[in-house]
Amino acid sequence: MTGPLVEFDGVDKFFGDEQVLHDVDLSVDEREVVVVIGPSGSGKSTLLRCANRLESIRGGDIRLDGRSVLDANVNEIRQQIGMVFQSFNLFPHKTALENVALGPRKVKGLPAETATERARELLDRVGLAAQTGSYPGGLSGGQQQRVAIARALAMEPQVMLFDEVTSALDPELVGEVLDVIEGLAADGMTMVLVTHEMGFAREVGDRIVLMADGRVVERTETESFFDRPETDRGRQFLSRLL
Amino acid sequence: MATQTESESNAGGVLMRDRLVKRVGEAVAAGFVLAIGGLLAWILSTQVDYRLLSSPLIARRFAEAFFLVVRIVAISSVLSVSFGLLVGLGRISTSDVTGRIAKGYVEFFRGTPLLFQLFVIYFGVPRLWATGQFPISDWAVPAAIIGLTLNHAAYVGEAIRGGIDAVPEGQMEAARSLGMSRVMALREVVLPQAWRNALAAIGNDQIILVKDTSLLTVIAVPEIMSVFRNINSNQLDPWTPLVWVCVLYLVITMSMSQLVNGLERRSDWGSDSGMLGWLSGLSSKGGDGGDNS
Repeated sequence: MTGPLVEFDGVDKFFGDEQVLHDVDLSVDEREVVVVIGPSGSGKSTLLRCANRLESIRGGDIRLDGRSVLDANVNEIRQQIGMVFQSFNLFPHKTALENVALGPRKVKGLPAETATERARELLDRVGLAAQTGSYPGGLSGGQQQRVAIARALAMEPQVMLFDEVTSALDPELVGEVLDVIEGLAADGMTMVLVTHEMGFAREVGDRIVLMADGRVVERTETESFFDRPETDRGRQFLSRLL
Repeated sequence: MATQTESESNAGGVLMRDRLVKRVGEAVAAGFVLAIGGLLAWILSTQVDYRLLSSPLIARRFAEAFFLVVRIVAISSVLSVSFGLLVGLGRISTSDVTGRIAKGYVEFFRGTPLLFQLFVIYFGVPRLWATGQFPISDWAVPAAIIGLTLNHAAYVGEAIRGGIDAVPEGQMEAARSLGMSRVMALREVVLPQAWRNALAAIGNDQIILVKDTSLLTVIAVPEIMSVFRNINSNQLDPWTPLVWVCVLYLVITMSMSQLVNGLERRSDWGSDSGMLGWLSGLSSKGGDGGDNS
């Protein structure tokens, strides 16, 4: 690996006539954890959704491992990009185990036993070994989000995208989800996180990217960002949090 | 049950009024039952000829009509739900052409009377062949099945489209994010949920399909209403065969709602079979254990 694993290169995105991403550049190295922060409506989530083509872009390019995501077969490229959503989006008609095993079984064509066995291991890894047979409706928000993380991991992606994954959780359930993400970071998973949890951003992020009005306004090593942000926007954003 | 505990724990003015409304409602309902029941009892005791009612002759004729209707309903049901699924999928197609065609189909078959559609198929279609050339000699029952299927597929299609629309967009996004194609995501994730959402509406429509078979009397299908008309004109006694008609339709429609209820229960994931049901069983056992210690 020479270049970055994920590379946003001059990305322009419009909703109708309104430009929501302006010439966004961002590169993420292998095993790096990049945390994207910024006020609501700054384009953080949209940026993530462009990476796995849930949103299309008008200008620029997005590359995974040097290959343009835009030219690739969408169903193939998405297997390399794990996505975890704010609202979990678990499949309510399937058990936790089936939620995790479905992708490997149907998309990768793994035999049912292999897929189920691996799903069991992944649920164990996110601390849900006892809940494999539960339906999402019977799980807490924190448990559901951990199943969703296991579901994304089951496809063995090269990079994981987390879109405000703790924003819909009761405060006491945030910790269990963040613990799982920290464990992934420790295992060397490449990750891009959009979050409002600044303490967590500081703890887990290698680099902080601050977005405002569809632009990247600052990108810095985590420690220096929180200690002495380089830009006015950075200082402004931090001062509002304190 | 909830109302009972409420009225026990609270006897405020608002609740008094609630209770009054409830009592009035009960009185109205009871009065209605008494009036209808009385009328019914009077008809059954004065108008119905019980010898004719239980005579093997009319029993056999109604039985034949009944089994014919059951067969027509079974076939039209399966076909209209299957075809309706295609119509519903057509309605949500990403292809503009398919979407418009499905919409047009629904507009036509919901917008014209079933009787008109039956006439087109039964009287109109054979005339497209030169006289005497139409290859199917007993066209009434096939025409009936085709008409019922085409008509009810439109309603089933709308129910399925509604069921699909009610599945949150995030379900499709989550499935696609795993690398599923749109077709696979529909099949594995969206449709099972849409089916459950649509089941009540589909069941409703299929019960209407049962009753719509009564229209088949005008295209010479020897179904239940035809038997009635026949007996009524021979015996000049409407009430006796009407009892038969009423009971036979109710037998079919009530079996149908039982079937739909069963299907609904089966697709009610995560409440009985899931964690909640399991947990509630567990916690009640735990409670017993606590009492013992």
